[in-house]
Amino acid sequence: MLNRTTLVSSSSVSLLPNSKPFFSVKAFSGFRSSSFSGGIVRRIDHKPLRVMTPNLTPRAMAAQQLENADQLIDSVETFIFDCDGVIWKGDKLIEGVPETLDMLRAKGKRLVFVTNNSTKSRKQYGKKFETLGLNVNEEEIFASSFAAAAYLQSINFPKDKKVYVIGEEGILKELDLAGFQYLGGPDDGKKQIELKPGFLMEHDNDVGAVVVGFDRYFNYYKIQYGTLCIRENPGCLFIATNRDAVTHLTDAQEWAGGGSMVGALVGSCQREPLVVGKPSTFMMDYLADKFGIEKSQICMVGDRLDTDILFGQNGGCKTLLVLSGVTSISMLESPENKIQPDFYTSKISDFLSLKAANV
Amino acid sequence: MAPKLLSSTNFKSLFNSVDTFLFDCDGVIWKGDTLIDGVSHTLDLLRSKASSLSHSGKNIVFVTNNSMKSRRQYAEKFRSLGLTSVTQDEIFSSSFAAAMYLKANNFPKDKKVYVIGGEGILEELQLAGFTGLGGPEDGEKKAQWKSNSLFQHDKTVGAVVVGLDPNINYYKLQYGTLCVRENRGCLFIATNRDAVGHMTDLQEWPGAGCMVAAMCGSTEREPIVVGKPATFMMDFLIQKFGTETSRMCMVGDRLDTDVLFGQNAGCKTLLVLSGCTSESNLLDENNKIEPDYYTSMVSDITKLMDSP
Repeated sequence: MLNRTTLVSSSSVSLLPNSKPFFSVKAFSGFRSSSFSGGIVRRIDHKPLRVMTPNLTPRAMAAQQLENADQLIDSVETFIFDCDGVIWKGDKLIEGVPETLDMLRAKGKRLVFVTNNSTKSRKQYGKKFETLGLNVNEEEIFASSFAAAAYLQSINFPKDKKVYVIGEEGILKELDLAGFQYLGGPDDGKKQIELKPGFLMEHDNDVGAVVVGFDRYFNYYKIQYGTLCIRENPGCLFIATNRDAVTHLTDAQEWAGGGSMVGALVGSCQREPLVVGKPSTFMMDYLADKFGIEKSQICMVGDRLDTDILFGQNGGCKTLLVLSGVTSISMLESPENKIQPDFYTSKISDFLSLKAANV
Repeated sequence: MAPKLLSSTNFKSLFNSVDTFLFDCDGVIWKGDTLIDGVSHTLDLLRSKASSLSHSGKNIVFVTNNSMKSRRQYAEKFRSLGLTSVTQDEIFSSSFAAAMYLKANNFPKDKKVYVIGGEGILEELQLAGFTGLGGPEDGEKKAQWKSNSLFQHDKTVGAVVVGLDPNINYYKLQYGTLCVRENRGCLFIATNRDAVGHMTDLQEWPGAGCMVAAMCGSTEREPIVVGKPATFMMDFLIQKFGTETSRMCMVGDRLDTDVLFGQNAGCKTLLVLSGCTSESNLLDENNKIEPDYYTSMVSDITKLMDSP
């Protein structure tokens, strides 16, 4: 199975078997140089954040079924929620979510929503939450589309360079908001090529980064354009919003995910991308910095072991797996599974029902 | 050992130690649809039983990773470029290799094969007696994602074959992904994994390696590779000529497919610089694949055969 934990940075990650969980920090020099291949993310107060390469020895201790919800709730200041399979499934809200979120807010907890889905911008997600009757602010939402733009901002990606996008509208909107020039996106899904003698595909030499994410309008034109930029424009960055193998576009079945489009570009460029979405800790570092939170004061709640839970563990947070999404109890307990969250429960509204049971 | 530049001093020993020359096509014989200079004459000379160096003539075969065409369609391409002496039996395309792999492994005839690739694969599957689905016509299909509709896939698909596909789209990726992930025992076969290739004469384009990696990304599985550098096709070649691989020379333009294929199989290897590899790529200290010999293009052989 593809070990996605090695794919955070574009240089190789050293394996550290049998060690206690710790983070190997990659510091890249010359982030102001023209090559931009770096993992240093600048904070507003000029102290560098680092893109953490993930812990390569996931927790071996078995996950505990959540019994004392209050104890968990009281031990942290912030809850980070994944969306698909935790808050909603497709376009349907999961039972008990509104009351659970209200209860947590009433207890003074900060709520943040982190999703690998790059098809929408934060603003568009804000609308989805609103439509489902949830009281969530745009500023609390971190989609991987936003992460891509935030990453470029953090490395001072020059405004006179362009970004080629293999992905959907959400990425374009976030790049626009951040003031970056972009090319590509869904419109390039209509472009055809004819492989015949004398035909040459031109590409813009000012493209300094190619951002690849989930793309239902994927085609050979885009793959070639992105490949030419990465292979031929000196210092061109290759950024992936996420590498999820499959995603729940509809609640009824799995759909090929962003990992597929990113895989295609890895295949043609023979380069690994910088991943900004889960399980890379970029978004965790970003929001910890933005809100001034200690990572040990955070509980990550998600339905997917190799993105959500690994993200939480890489970030040094507590982790809670919910079984309301893609992971079943048998998958969690399978001998092949190496990722053990601290706790697991059936759905987030268990915070309310378990509470009641303890009274 | 460092690759030797082919010259009049070393050519004779290569020529005498080899009965069969295996030629890659893209970047060696042609570039896109344009024949590379001097190739026709060189092939005739090699086959000739009356050359100054040999009285028996050499066997020639073509081993290509490009799965877009079937062997029959490749023979037509050779003919259209003026290489009329090349027959279908001398061509080993990865499209043919995929069908042969299924045959060699007794793939059941009541199972189907979903193809992400060109016509060539479908034709070879049909010739081998298998039922293929997908291929170029799925390039027109669009997936629908509505909450009450399911993306359907044929549950009798027992293998997904992935090759170069300039008509790649989300529909095909989704179809192939569901087959591999959900149909029990479904095989995931790649014709080859070349990253890029000269699909046109002027520049390189993403190769099958791209489509295969897309499928690896969504299925979280590695494929069985039937094309170079895997030596699967070599078994057919050994059977055809009954000679040892040490008496064969692989001529190609790509280190990680052609030369590696030749080395893996125990052949001699000759790299030509008329395709995707330059002399600096070859001599770069990071390059670990060293052919026995290298030269700028196939027609250099003519000059060396004619020299005293």
